[in-house]
Amino acid sequence: MTSAAVRVHGLWKRFGQQVAVAGIDLELPAGKFVGLVGPNGAGKTTTLSMVTGLLRPDQGTVEVVGHDVWRDPVEVKARIGVLPEGLRLFERLSGRELLAYTGRLRGVPGAEVDKRATQLLDVLDLAGAQHKLVVDYSTGMRKKIGLAAALLHNPEVLFLDEPFEGVDPVSAQTIRGVLERYTASGATVVFSSHVMELVESLCDWVAVMAAGRIRAHGTLAEVRGTAPTLQQAFLELVGAQGRDAGTDLDWLGGGAR
Amino acid sequence: MSAATEANVTATVVRLKLSLLRNGLRQSGGRKAAYVASAVVTLLFAVGQVLGLVLLRGTAHADALVVLLVAVLGLGWAVMPLFFPGGDETLDPTRLVMLPLRPRPLVRALLAASLVGIGPLFTVCLFAGSVITVARGAAAYVVGAVAVVLALLVCVALARAVAAANIRLLTSRRGRDLAVLSGLVVAVGAQVVNFGAQRLGSAGLGQLDPVADVLRWVPPASALGAVHSVSEGAYGTAAGQLALCGVVLAALIAVWARHLTRLMTSPDGSTLHGAESAGRERSSTRLGRLLPGGRTGTVMERSLRYVWRDPKTKAAWVTSLAIGLIVPVFNALQGTGSVYFACFAAGMLGLQMYNQFGQDTSAFWMVAMTISSTRDAYVELRARALALLVITLPYATLVTVLTTALLGDWARLPEALGLSFALLGAMLATGAWTSARFPYSIPQEGYKNVAPGQVGLAWISIFGGMAAGALLCAPVIVAAIWLHTGPDATAGRGWPLLPAGAAHGAALAYAGLRLAAPRTAARLPEILTAVSKA
Repeated sequence: MTSAAVRVHGLWKRFGQQVAVAGIDLELPAGKFVGLVGPNGAGKTTTLSMVTGLLRPDQGTVEVVGHDVWRDPVEVKARIGVLPEGLRLFERLSGRELLAYTGRLRGVPGAEVDKRATQLLDVLDLAGAQHKLVVDYSTGMRKKIGLAAALLHNPEVLFLDEPFEGVDPVSAQTIRGVLERYTASGATVVFSSHVMELVESLCDWVAVMAAGRIRAHGTLAEVRGTAPTLQQAFLELVGAQGRDAGTDLDWLGGGAR
Repeated sequence: MSAATEANVTATVVRLKLSLLRNGLRQSGGRKAAYVASAVVTLLFAVGQVLGLVLLRGTAHADALVVLLVAVLGLGWAVMPLFFPGGDETLDPTRLVMLPLRPRPLVRALLAASLVGIGPLFTVCLFAGSVITVARGAAAYVVGAVAVVLALLVCVALARAVAAANIRLLTSRRGRDLAVLSGLVVAVGAQVVNFGAQRLGSAGLGQLDPVADVLRWVPPASALGAVHSVSEGAYGTAAGQLALCGVVLAALIAVWARHLTRLMTSPDGSTLHGAESAGRERSSTRLGRLLPGGRTGTVMERSLRYVWRDPKTKAAWVTSLAIGLIVPVFNALQGTGSVYFACFAAGMLGLQMYNQFGQDTSAFWMVAMTISSTRDAYVELRARALALLVITLPYATLVTVLTTALLGDWARLPEALGLSFALLGAMLATGAWTSARFPYSIPQEGYKNVAPGQVGLAWISIFGGMAAGALLCAPVIVAAIWLHTGPDATAGRGWPLLPAGAAHGAALAYAGLRLAAPRTAARLPEILTAVSKA
């Protein structure tokens, strides 16, 4: 394995007039918990879609564990797991059926798929709902079944787009536990989020994105710099400091109604 | 609450309804045009109906026809909220649940708001036209005015009561699934009406009278029955019919108010989803064991499950199965058919191969992640075609045999079967190719089958594909024609067309899949973008 899990060079994507990703160069270290952070609309989802081969870039190259995503899909697709944001699952299958389907499509032998599915459903606390259709799952349950589907073929690199968005604390803790165990074995997790506390407590390595560009990247300590928290450092980086809402809403709160 | 605030609530809710109607105009170009066009068409249709009703005045059985019309309209109001729950946002009282309102003023306000709109206007036009058709004398017109108001109120209250009673169903996933199947009810209903009209055309309007005698006493039709009774001088009967209408109206409002109170004081249905399906083991292995292993079996299993479980796919399949059967068989029953009409079944079912990836919705990413070569794409497409054949092949055969049996034209069965199989193969081929080349999104909610902005794409895909399919079948069609018009034409010589047609179809399907596979593998991100628009 090379030292970089993902190598991105000169990545661009435009949607009509709007530039979603404006020339990204990035190397994500292997075997780490990597966080891609940025405000809404920063281009995180677009970037992850292009890195995982779900969206064609206008320009630039992406290499995952040393293989070009667009020229060598056979090598890349077998080695990555993906949990996208805003795309559906096959929701008219039950949780167990979805895993059985995904695993077999991935080429894992049937008996092995069923064994892994049972374990994943257990660990992710979905065993009780395994025969329920995914369409009837809650947001947290969907994220968990999506994670299970992404892990089923034991990928080297896992890409998760907002895996904790809309997830209750109990499910979030479960997802976290699974991911920590997974990275401890030397695998790489790349996930996007805009919850800084979460990124700070989970990640070893962070890339900050805003307006389609990478503003900073490196280990957590490097990106945080002199700021007391990642949140502070992030707000400075994306230039959202010093906005004071104190005087305008003076009627809000106790006193005269 | 004072009378002033009650009037305020009514005025506010009516204004809300007017704003919602106006906002229909504030959409993007295409949707605005569709909104205006549907309003104009509805009104033109109403005007046409009124004119027709006025022309019917004085003809025999006109009163029976009017009563039937009003009853059908009443039925329409009753079922509408079940199939178009999103049609009227003020219909959903759970949206108002956070406001400090008492049930009584709320009922009044919502009833008033329901009277605003194109639907009520259409209904009033028809009811007024009906009164003109049957009323004779000043007294009848006076009663008619009352009858129109009463009948409209019954219709509106009926819709509201049905919606309130079923709101738990309507806001749940099952309710939304039901709404998707609404198109089917319309299609089947149209067939029933069509055949009913044909029977009436041949047997005369007198057939309606016994039905009308019953409906005359069923509100809201009883209100129009009263107008007829007054015209006949039967004032007692008229009073009874009007009173019945009034009682039913009061009862409906009471039922509605009770449901409304309960709705506003209990948790809403959206949090109680799916409890009934929990814990039920889904038999996953029985189907799986019959299918081949590997990707082929996995994909086939999911495709076949979706035919049953996904409301959109199910609606498309049922429509295809029904029309594929109705057209050849009913034509044969009426003696106007031909064995070759049986090819219709193959054609309709072959349509299901079109836009395969659009049927996946954005869940296509799960497929895209596992296709890394042309070979993968070929196996995926072939499995989908095989899943389709599992249903289509026996069904097309059955329809062809049934049509032949009805016509007694057994000599032509082999060639009709051969043509069916050739057509099926051509549809699979063109379907696979257009799935890769012209994918489009299928909205999961509502009854539309194409996302806004992709209608052109869908047309190219379906009609271009069908034309190409027919063209690809040309050799078999030409051979069939030549057999019957050639120098030594006899009916019994068509049997070579059965193996020839089947082989032609199989070859076409194979070639189509082979051509579609590299396109699919090369265009995965583009296909995903195209099918994720809804």
